[in-house]
Amino acid sequence: MRANRLNNPVLSSSFKIRMRGWKTSLGIVFYLGIMVLIAYLYYITFLGTRSAYQMSVNSRQEIGAGIYTILAVLQFGLIVLITPAQTAGTISGEREKQTLDLLLSTSLSPMGIILGKLLSSMSYIVLLVLSSIPLFSMISFFGGITPGDIITLFTFYLVTAFAIGNIGIYYSTTFKKTVTATVMTYVTIFALGLISFILGLFMASNHYLKNLYPSGDYIPFVLYINPVIGLAQILESQLNGSVGSIIGMGSSRLRYFWIYNSIVMLAIALILFLLSVIKINPVFRLKSRRYKISQEA
Amino acid sequence: MLRIEKLVKKYGNFTAVNDLSLTLNRGDIFGFVGPNGAGKTTTMRVVAALMKASSGTVYVDGINVAQRPREAKAKLGYMPDFFGVYDNLKVNEYMDFYGSCYGISLSDRKRRTGELLELVDLLDKEDSYVDTLSRGMKQRLCLARSLIHNPELLILDEPASGMDPRARIEMKGILKTLKTMEKTILISSHILHELVELCSCIGVIERGRLVYSGRVEDLMSRLEGRSMIRLRVLSDVDKAVNLLKEQPYITEINGEDNELEIGYEGEQEDMARLLKLLVENDIPVISFSEIAGNIEKVFLEVTKSAGE
Repeated sequence: MRANRLNNPVLSSSFKIRMRGWKTSLGIVFYLGIMVLIAYLYYITFLGTRSAYQMSVNSRQEIGAGIYTILAVLQFGLIVLITPAQTAGTISGEREKQTLDLLLSTSLSPMGIILGKLLSSMSYIVLLVLSSIPLFSMISFFGGITPGDIITLFTFYLVTAFAIGNIGIYYSTTFKKTVTATVMTYVTIFALGLISFILGLFMASNHYLKNLYPSGDYIPFVLYINPVIGLAQILESQLNGSVGSIIGMGSSRLRYFWIYNSIVMLAIALILFLLSVIKINPVFRLKSRRYKISQEA
Repeated sequence: MLRIEKLVKKYGNFTAVNDLSLTLNRGDIFGFVGPNGAGKTTTMRVVAALMKASSGTVYVDGINVAQRPREAKAKLGYMPDFFGVYDNLKVNEYMDFYGSCYGISLSDRKRRTGELLELVDLLDKEDSYVDTLSRGMKQRLCLARSLIHNPELLILDEPASGMDPRARIEMKGILKTLKTMEKTILISSHILHELVELCSCIGVIERGRLVYSGRVEDLMSRLEGRSMIRLRVLSDVDKAVNLLKEQPYITEINGEDNELEIGYEGEQEDMARLLKLLVENDIPVISFSEIAGNIEKVFLEVTKSAGE
């Protein structure tokens, strides 16, 4: 009688609907097309600026590093842009279509609904990101980029997408209209990226002004919520540059910054996920001793 | 099967449902009647665990809905008054989706889908996309959806709203079938005749209060001894009216042109005597027939006295 408990109907149904039409395939083709085009433009521009005698053995790695950086930043930007559009309408869209009550009236738990909605909307992002792996792998032919570098970068992408996805879901449960939820998600991401960066710079400069001979590196805590810094650190360590010098911090502690950054983002995502579950639950209540008493009634 | 105890639901200062208590036994079909905004939908939503009550308790088959909503939901099927459908989903996929939401296995889902689509007469539409169905078909599909997990209690909020007469008749037929399946049903409607025909109990809600609740037989017994006659004459309407006014068992005369509706309190013999009298006085009678009693009128009397 009972179906597989691990099977989430919201997720499997969304998969079925999404993969039915040609829009998903076309979206992937368009997405990869943009990336390939930009990589190609960089490639011919690079070749156009160097004459044959200027080309050295390192030039090949230089091209590879350039394309890798451009594609990494581009993909990050696309994730930041696409994820809110995919997730911010998941619950508010159900409300607008008047299907939320039908869903909530089933035995599906609020957590199951939120998880299913999150994973189904994220699945498209994951599909886009994963479909670009062959493209990134081709860059390694130029040298300088290892498979480990690509795995690190893609892990960070997925964590970022997951965090942004949860922001979208949270606003989707908070606001009745999808438009409001989407705008609020973009505003929050913008605030996370820009304001935390400016605040971080301010805090760092203030710290170094007060401590002319600091004993160690100082990383303002607000930067840990900023995924842009995490991406910059990954590219910095993979391409042997120095992000620390750009943002006024020493680079030694920055080595694992992206991991701390990911942990903070995952923690925020988890909190927002739980808040979404609470918000969608029409009869949410904190369990108390009254539970036992009423059961007996 | 359903027990509502002193249910109160407030939205700020506005009390949508006020101290409502109700008990439905297994197999009861309870018709919920009341004007828009009376609190019918709010009550039903609280029962379906879609809304938290301000105070009071709802039990479905002994399960406290507020404390164990998932267990309660497994025992009830809910059909809202307004609902939407998913795009790009076929009728059988729609049923399958909701079946899986109740944790039903694939083989059971397939079997139940077939049975229910047959019940609501949509078997030939199983491969059609849900958003292409007519309103009446969507209503029937939603009813089938609410039955996918074979619930013991059905909560149907205006199941025939917005339907054309034909679709209403079809829906009524399905509900009659459900009655034979001994489901406990809480149904709301504006059309009293439909509810009286279908329900075993009737409840009237006004401004959040249940002003009347009782069995349909009790309501119908108030109609005993009161009947209406529809009389059509070719001419001499005034003469017929004057003649009728003289009869002691005639309570009211209404009508337009050559058609009269006559209220009377008497036996069958009085009716026969009345027809004979009309014919003997040369009134050209075209038709003379008994019509159903004015249940709305009785209903208003009942609710008025209950309200007072």
